Amino acid sequence: MRRIRVTVASLVATSLLVLAGCSAESSGSAADAGKPVSGGSLTWAVETEPITFNPHLYAQAKARLLVWNSFEALLTHDDKGGYLPWLATGYEVSADGKTYTFTLRTGVTFSDGTTFDAAAVKANVDQLRADGYAPAVAAVQLKNLATVEAKDASTVVFHLTEPDVLILDFLSSPQGAQVSPASLKAAKNLKAGGPELAGTGPFILDSYTPGQQVHFKKNPAYDWAPANAGHTGPAYLDEITYRFLKESSVRVGALTSGQVQVIEGVPATDESLISASPNLSLQRGLNSGSAYSYYFNTAHAPFDDVRVRQAFREALDVPAVLDGVYRTTATRAWSVIGPTSPFYDKTLEGTYSGDAATANTLLDAAGWATKDPEGFRTKDGKRLTVRLVQSAPFVRDRRDVLAQAIQAAVKQSAGIDLQVQLVDQGTATKALADGEYEVFDNSRADTDAGAALNLLLYSTGAINRTGVKNPDLDKLLDDAVATTDVAKRTATYRALQKLVITDQALVFPLYAPQDQIAAAKTVGGVGFEPTAGVPGSAYRLWLSK
Amino acid sequence: MTRAILRRVGAGVLVLWAAATAAYLALLAAPGDTVDAIIGDGADSPLIRSQIIQEWHLDRPAVVQYVDFLARAVQGDLGRSYLLQRPVAEVIGGQLGPTLQLAATAAGFGIVLALVLAVVARRPWVRRLSSTTELVLVSTPPFLIGIVLLSLFSFRLGWFPVSGAQGAAALVLPAITMGLPIAGTLAQVLRDGLDRALDEPFAVTARARGLRESAVLVRHALKHALLPTVTMLGWSFGVLIGGTVIIEQVFGRPGLGQVTVQAVNASDLPVVLAVVILAAAVFVVVNTLTDLAYLVIDPRLRRS
Repeated sequence: MRRIRVTVASLVATSLLVLAGCSAESSGSAADAGKPVSGGSLTWAVETEPITFNPHLYAQAKARLLVWNSFEALLTHDDKGGYLPWLATGYEVSADGKTYTFTLRTGVTFSDGTTFDAAAVKANVDQLRADGYAPAVAAVQLKNLATVEAKDASTVVFHLTEPDVLILDFLSSPQGAQVSPASLKAAKNLKAGGPELAGTGPFILDSYTPGQQVHFKKNPAYDWAPANAGHTGPAYLDEITYRFLKESSVRVGALTSGQVQVIEGVPATDESLISASPNLSLQRGLNSGSAYSYYFNTAHAPFDDVRVRQAFREALDVPAVLDGVYRTTATRAWSVIGPTSPFYDKTLEGTYSGDAATANTLLDAAGWATKDPEGFRTKDGKRLTVRLVQSAPFVRDRRDVLAQAIQAAVKQSAGIDLQVQLVDQGTATKALADGEYEVFDNSRADTDAGAALNLLLYSTGAINRTGVKNPDLDKLLDDAVATTDVAKRTATYRALQKLVITDQALVFPLYAPQDQIAAAKTVGGVGFEPTAGVPGSAYRLWLSK
Repeated sequence: MTRAILRRVGAGVLVLWAAATAAYLALLAAPGDTVDAIIGDGADSPLIRSQIIQEWHLDRPAVVQYVDFLARAVQGDLGRSYLLQRPVAEVIGGQLGPTLQLAATAAGFGIVLALVLAVVARRPWVRRLSSTTELVLVSTPPFLIGIVLLSLFSFRLGWFPVSGAQGAAALVLPAITMGLPIAGTLAQVLRDGLDRALDEPFAVTARARGLRESAVLVRHALKHALLPTVTMLGWSFGVLIGGTVIIEQVFGRPGLGQVTVQAVNASDLPVVLAVVILAAAVFVVVNTLTDLAYLVIDPRLRRS
């Protein structure tokens, strides 16, 4: 299936390029969207059909733009690592960092008429902790939550067992979005979500046709946008339809032929089709969270030796492979933390990688000094083989192709045998459980990079594939979430990045994942969500007349 | 007669059971278990695992789960999708219509085009041109045909919408995409059958009676040529159902194909099993109809 899809994509691209080449029609002058106007209906082609429309069970960064149309959270991220009031007007943290008190906005109602108040917040958290409902949220985001107390109608208190600033990140995340308690009780397919679940957002999800589209209509009563939303009051658009078009070239074709006004997910190979048209615009946004990185399995040879880990990083000329696979559209990563995070340590840039001579010296020193007839390094008769297991259903951004490019590069420069296995999810999980891998690849779109690091680097982390169990590292991770002070957190995460990237070479950051939006120039307000870096909701969009 | 019908129904049920069981065993033998599939690439911890096991009753032995599945299936309960968290009947039911609509339209288009090609294109040079075109159509991957049609008639000319199941206009391009290779195959078979029938003594007799060549062709030879064509048509229904996987993806149409791919990728057992059972049922029905069609077309078969 994979192979077919790649072929489909390339054939599509080729045939479209050919056709685009034939087309010589002149387009009218580039019209700007002008000042915001109300009214109109918009069609947006998206790549991913969400598995669920229930925000509590949100798990796909590609579905985030849909969540905020109909649901809202207590807080929202600004673009500097802080938080802005949304459904909460503010919060206070106790001195020990274990009690968070939120004052709630009054006069907010869910689209089903239910009043939003402290009891509703408590009902949402209770639902999240119900057996078998959202195990991943209960075990990760809410692991330090003791109780939630509705003190009065507009005050809600979160009592924690440990200081955990990530509770604020949770309360700004789709999983922490507020759903009408009445609809939580009444919904027949609660975990699938859809029109049955009511939120407080600027739009109301009124119809969903699986495999085809989801439709939202304006919520005329809406009047509680956060300060960074661009405007106040109801949304500009009367309605918006999101079509699910999985083939990127079909999305691009639908946009260039005017059948949709906005698309997201524009691969590098198709960008020329957008930029060729004076009526279309293209924007890229870097995602939050952790960069797409290779994690070295330190539990066994050869990556139990820090010199081999360093050698692998030195053996690869990252810009060369990125340009080969993504042309010039990819942004190189230097740290496990994405470059848009306030915690990102810019001083890491240029400090390692890309020096084949050093790679070879390091491998010689580590005992991998001999070579076999095929040119791979060996030690005691064993080849320097490292395995990367990729789960086919979760491969995106052509990461399988990137792996092949890296495979060729490290063989040529340092005699490392990187074996790439593209397998089904079951085989991948089994390989990870049995430790039958040396390289693990991953990126996470968490809005607070700390949430990603806790999963990836903590000794008991749920996605700790490096096998690292370092008390110093755990302490840094704990300290970084024990305070709300961004400066203190930044300092702690800088120390952590030095340890993980520079000293231990546990991680090999490759690129910062991004999203692209292409739109007709008649559409105004197109942009990305602050911090998250994914396409924003439809609240800011307008259609010039 | 009743016995024959009973035997037929019994055989059909047996096929359904065998297909479901084979699919169940295949998924069981696949690496990793259901819990892994549900977790996907998300967070994985003992607590999360235990909750998933509890929710889906995965702690029961595989045999018990299998028998339970069969018992429910007999009562018409196909369970809930692990991935989509909705009843399977709802997931499949909503997608069945668009797929059947597409398959039927494509088959209809294919049959008509094949008849026209085989009957009308009889002059030697037209035949050669038609036959070559058919071969090209049969050998071209459907997604390529789809993309070319889309690029030309949707993106360039704007005659048809690209996506969705919005009325008849959106059905045209995907139906043609799927219908063309079928027309190619059927036309080849039909033309071959016509040629052979026209060499038969009865054709000579008919001509001797003074019938015009076109009348010989349509009234006598065509009936003979239909038998192998109907067999091919039954077979091509399977190709159609399989072809929707790619066509639906290219055209952004709702349908079973997309549901199936997603379910197989995610090891969504209840959905995969339901799709397998459904596909087997369609095959049983189509094969039965094919057999019945033989009897209608050929009186000699009725006697035996």
